[in-house]
This record gives sequence, structure tokens and C-alpha cells, in this order.
Amino acid sequence: MIFFESVDKFYGSHRCLTRITAHVAKGEVVVICGPSGSGKTTLIRTVNGLEPIRSGRIVVNGQDVHAPKADINRLRREIGFVFQQFNLFPHMTVLDNVSLAPRKLRGLPREQAEEEARALLARVGLAEKANVYPGQLSGGQSQRVAIARALAMSPPVILFDEPTSALDPEMVGEVLAVMRDLAGSGITMVCVTHEMGFAREVADRVWFMDSGVILEDASPEEFFVAPRHPRARRFLADLRHA
Amino acid sequence: MGYTLDFGAILSGEHLRWLISGLRLTLELTLSSWVLALVLGVILVLLRSSGIKPAEWFVTAYVEVHQNVPLLVQVLFWYFAVPELLPEAGRIWLNERNSEFLLVMLALSFCFAAYMSEALRSGMRAIPQTQHEAGRALGFGYLRTMQYVVIPQAARLAIPPLINYSLLLFKNTSLAMAIGVHELTTQTRQIENDTFRTFEAFTVSTVLYLMISFVIMAGGALLERRIKREGR
Ligand SMILES: Nc1ncnc2c1ncn2[C@@H]1O[C@H](COP(=O)(O)OP(=O)(O)O)[C@@H](O)[C@H]1O
Ligand SMILES: [Mg+2]
Repeated sequence: MIFFESVDKFYGSHRCLTRITAHVAKGEVVVICGPSGSGKTTLIRTVNGLEPIRSGRIVVNGQDVHAPKADINRLRREIGFVFQQFNLFPHMTVLDNVSLAPRKLRGLPREQAEEEARALLARVGLAEKANVYPGQLSGGQSQRVAIARALAMSPPVILFDEPTSALDPEMVGEVLAVMRDLAGSGITMVCVTHEMGFAREVADRVWFMDSGVILEDASPEEFFVAPRHPRARRFLADLRHA
Repeated sequence: MGYTLDFGAILSGEHLRWLISGLRLTLELTLSSWVLALVLGVILVLLRSSGIKPAEWFVTAYVEVHQNVPLLVQVLFWYFAVPELLPEAGRIWLNERNSEFLLVMLALSFCFAAYMSEALRSGMRAIPQTQHEAGRALGFGYLRTMQYVVIPQAARLAIPPLINYSLLLFKNTSLAMAIGVHELTTQTRQIENDTFRTFEAFTVSTVLYLMISFVIMAGGALLERRIKREGR
């Protein structure tokens, strides 16, 4: 579903991704972890073209995202993206946040788009918040709305960039519950997260990144029980002590 | 004590008709210039944030010129100089109509487009880049992200300065007198000439200008209040 082929990415002269080659199969759940600044955010942002790359190829659903003639707007409809800071549209109700893309991009009539949006909101447990503005939501609720919005175009792939890092601890659970539910639905998921409980439970693979390189690509059992790379071991030890 | 006030001479008969037609023209001028200025202002601000360097330079120069040259000079420029630049056919077309209204309307629109684009731009700059990204990540292109995500939010922030500029635009329609458009100020002068009731004539037009200014301000305040209530 997602192929990285020797992807290089620079910020100026700073090399931020180095020859990334990896693969996410259809329906797979991949968790990306690693120390801060290792390039996790950058990597998933290259998948939907929010960040350009220097060289290499990223193929999603059979289409080369960074090809000069790629229709990036069309491609992005097939790739949901959930930001660390939610980035809901504050001037629209929750319902409009979720139904905007289906209405404007798929051309659905308002009623049908809203019906679908309500179903998605019910799925993330927020049916009663449809007519509220994002400013009135808690962090956990906001992130669940953001997930509903990312799902509104029924993308086969969804990407998460540390979806729970901006949340108060007591709200992490409600977001992870939605993600867990999603993981079981057959959608292809790539999540940058440090929630190792979540990784252990639902990930098919764990990628450990450091300094712009995927140092380890392992099943959760392998990764958590016997990480091969010393830096991965140190990272896991630090997480446990944190 | 030679002077007795007599508003009757102004608020009746022919003079009242002059006053009303002047008021009507002032309102038409305000409204048409306002709409065109807003449309042009939106185009300018889109050009300025388009990332196309020459377009950005053009808008910067455009804004500087229109904000720093006296508006009266701009009106006179449109009236006297712009027709000269037109081909013969265009000049004839203008001369066959009463082109004063059109030309002063364009002068006001082009000038206030500069101010409005600046108001919109400062609103735009207050919208974080992440909002733009959220729109793009859903699959909206640059313009549609602007349309649905950035501009509606920027417009809210831009409303207070936009109301100020609308008021300024309304007041500056009186400059049309310089080229003989029969708007409220011109008509007031005419009535004054006709009746020698200087004080009464200008009092009446002052009250009319004030009333309309208050309507614009009240409308603006209402709009702001409604938007604030919509959350955020
Ligand atoms: N817009 C940017 N400009 C310059 N450098 C950046 C930018 N974004 C990220 N970086 C750098 O790239 C590296 C990887 O960042 P990031 O992908 O955000 O890491 P992570 O998400 O793993 O914390 C860091 O060294 C960071 O400083
Ligand atoms: Mg990050």
C-alpha cells in the first residue's frame, strides 16, 4: 500500500531522512517511534506530500506521490492525516468540519454528507457534539473529531502524527480507543506514537527511527522483547523510566 | 439679529428633490465602489500571497501608490488622465455617457482595494500555517483552501478595519464633487447657491452624512457581535 524507495529529504543542508526504504502492506498497522528530532513527523508528512523529498520514490496505492505530474490533491483524498495539534477549523461546527471535504470534493449533497458525518461522529463517540464549535471541545474530543474528519473521504490509508502527545493524560485513552477500533477495520494505518501499550496491542510492525534512518522494522513482539539495536534498547529503557 | 433659520426652503419642493437625488447618488457611489473595492482587495491579497514574485511586487507597489497619493489626486487622475490613455473608441464611449460617475467610482474602488487588501492580509497572516495544511491534507487545492478555510477566518479578523475603511470610503465619496458628480455635497452647494441658506444647507447634509455613518457603524457592530457569538 505504501512503498518508500530510497527516500532522501533535506532541510537546507541538514539531512533529515536518509535512504528510507520500507513497505506498509494493505490493512497493516505500523507504529513509528524514536527520539524527538529523529524524523518521524517528516517521514509521514512526505507520504501525503506535505513535505517534498530530495530523491527516491513514495508510492501510495499504486501512485507515485512525488511524481511531477501527480495530482496531489486527488491523492490526498485517499490519505487521511491526523495532526498532533488537531488543526480543526475553528470557524465551522464539528459537523461542518467533518462534512466539508465530502461536500466540496466528492460533491455530495449537504444532507447526505451530513448524514455520513453524523455516522462518523457517532463512531468516535461524539454524536452529540455535531453542532458545537471546536473551541468548546476538550483536547480528546477535538482529536476524535479530527479523526472523523480524516475518515470522511473514506481513505484506504490514514496517517497519525503523535495524535495523543498534545493531550492531558486523562484524555489519551479515549483517542487510543478510537484508533484501536479503527485498526480493526482493515484500513491501512501509520501512527507516529510513543504509546507503547497501543503499539504492543494493535501494531503489526514497529519502526524505530533515529537520525533520519529506520533502524529497526520489527514485529511488536521482537521489538519489545528483544530490540536488536542498542539505540532502540536505550529508547525503550528511557520510555519506561519516564 | 438678522438671521432666522429657515429649513423649509431646503426641505421642500425642488431643493428637497435635489437633496434626495444627491443622497441617492452618494449611496450608489458608496455601494458600487465598496463592492468593487472588496472584490479587487481579495484579488490583490490572493496575488500577494500567491508565491509568484512579480505578482507580489506588483501588489506591494500598488498598495504603496494608492495609500500614499492623496485620494483627490487619484480622482482627478482617473477623470482627466485615464481617458487620454484609452483608444479613440473608448474615449468616445466615455464621452457619450456621463462618465464622471463611472470614473470616480473606479478611483474610489482602486484606492480602497489597496486598504482593504491590507486589512485582509493582516487577517490572513494571523491564521496559522497549520490551518492551511489541514485544508491541503484533506485534498483541497491552494485556492479552495483559501476559500473555505483561510479567508473565512481572516475575514472575521479583518472585519473591524474593513468597517473603518467602509466608513472612510463613504465619506470620501464627497470628493466626487471635484469632477461634478451630483452627489450629496455637490447638491448641497447647489442648494446653498440657490437659496443663500448656507447654514441650513450644510446642517442638513451634515445630519445626513452622520446618519449614514451611524448606520454603517451599527451594522458593523452587529456583524462583529454575531460572529463573536458563533464561537471560536
Ligand atoms: N521545517 C523545518 N525546517 C528545518 N528543519 C526542520 C524542519 N522540520 C523539522 N526539521 C528538523 O528535521 C529533523 C526531524 O524533525 P521531525 O521530523 O519533526 O522529528 P520528530 O517528529 O521525529 O521529532 C529535526 O532535526 C528537525 O529539527
Ligand atoms: Mg514529530
